[in-house]
Amino acid sequence: MIGVALCVGFGLSWYALSDGRSFGQLRIGPWAAWAAVGDPSPDPYTRAFVARSGTLHLGSSEGIQFVALTDSDGRRLERHCTYRIDGSTPVATFWTLVPVAADGTGIARPGGTGAFNSTHLARNSDGSLELYVSRTISPRNWLEITGDGPFSLVLTLYDSSTFSGVGSADAELPAIIREACQ
Amino acid sequence: MTRTVLWVLAGAVLGGIIHLLVILSLPALANQSLWSGIATLGATNRVVVLPVPGPGEANPLGLDPELTYAACQIDLRKGPGFVRGTLPVAFWSVAVYGPAGTTLYSTTNRDGIGATLDLGIFNAAQTRLLAQQQLDIAQGLLIVEAREDDVMAVVRLAPAHQAVRARYEAALAKLSCGNLPS
Repeated sequence: MIGVALCVGFGLSWYALSDGRSFGQLRIGPWAAWAAVGDPSPDPYTRAFVARSGTLHLGSSEGIQFVALTDSDGRRLERHCTYRIDGSTPVATFWTLVPVAADGTGIARPGGTGAFNSTHLARNSDGSLELYVSRTISPRNWLEITGDGPFSLVLTLYDSSTFSGVGSADAELPAIIREACQ
Repeated sequence: MTRTVLWVLAGAVLGGIIHLLVILSLPALANQSLWSGIATLGATNRVVVLPVPGPGEANPLGLDPELTYAACQIDLRKGPGFVRGTLPVAFWSVAVYGPAGTTLYSTTNRDGIGATLDLGIFNAAQTRLLAQQQLDIAQGLLIVEAREDDVMAVVRLAPAHQAVRARYEAALAKLSCGNLPS
């Protein structure tokens, strides 16, 4: 009984604060966010997530941050593959895309800022975006990454109120499409 | 057989209780990591520009490498807090956090047109005095009510280009913060 209790108690807690799709995470395609992380009175799960992460979260008026661990087909993001970020983003003053390793260390090319900023984006004629994340040179917009192993993408929308009201789950985020692997 | 099932069920119920205890107690157990991390930079009653890690560097605060940050920790027991100064014409936002990392208040300058930050932070007792007009404050002060006495204000500023990052960080360093004279 004690074994079952410990497994259920701590296992469920770990799941809730890491995956958490049933405990307050907003999921759109491969992107996940703790939607209430910037609220003055977040729910207990979000409060526990904030305490556990120890990072500076955006206030609800400042924007929202999404993290993708997989591509749109559910495969883990790997640095030896080329990914195309394709689609559109919700209305925001600007957004940034940061590639990070599992420990939060930036894996973008040294010498740069470590991120892609939407103010430097060359959009398609229909306003959509097409951005490549890869170790090798890519056409159009390119975010160069380095190293080997899995990684995640952090998409931060600044000054976006799209996710603060009813119907926020209907908002769209770009797809992450795996192109080729070396 | 029935007895085994009952033991497992009892274990699952106990596990649920452990889970709730973990989630509810985590903020109290881990509430100093963000606060103490920034306190070590000397941010008490003083604006400190946070070092933004580059690619390959640890990023314990989860800072966006495209932005510049300034933080100031204020003890409201010594009087109402303030953060004020002039910022470059660019996107900026300000958030007020409690010791556990919960966002108490946040706002942005919207279209990048507001250049003056003049924020007053008041605890519940000071807010009451304010309502009774027993506290003198300057006109135009943005009033924020905090339900905790230890607060941290964080200003995010987005440089239009990396070439102006140093100038923007210098502007952040010129912000002032502390306790208003009571």
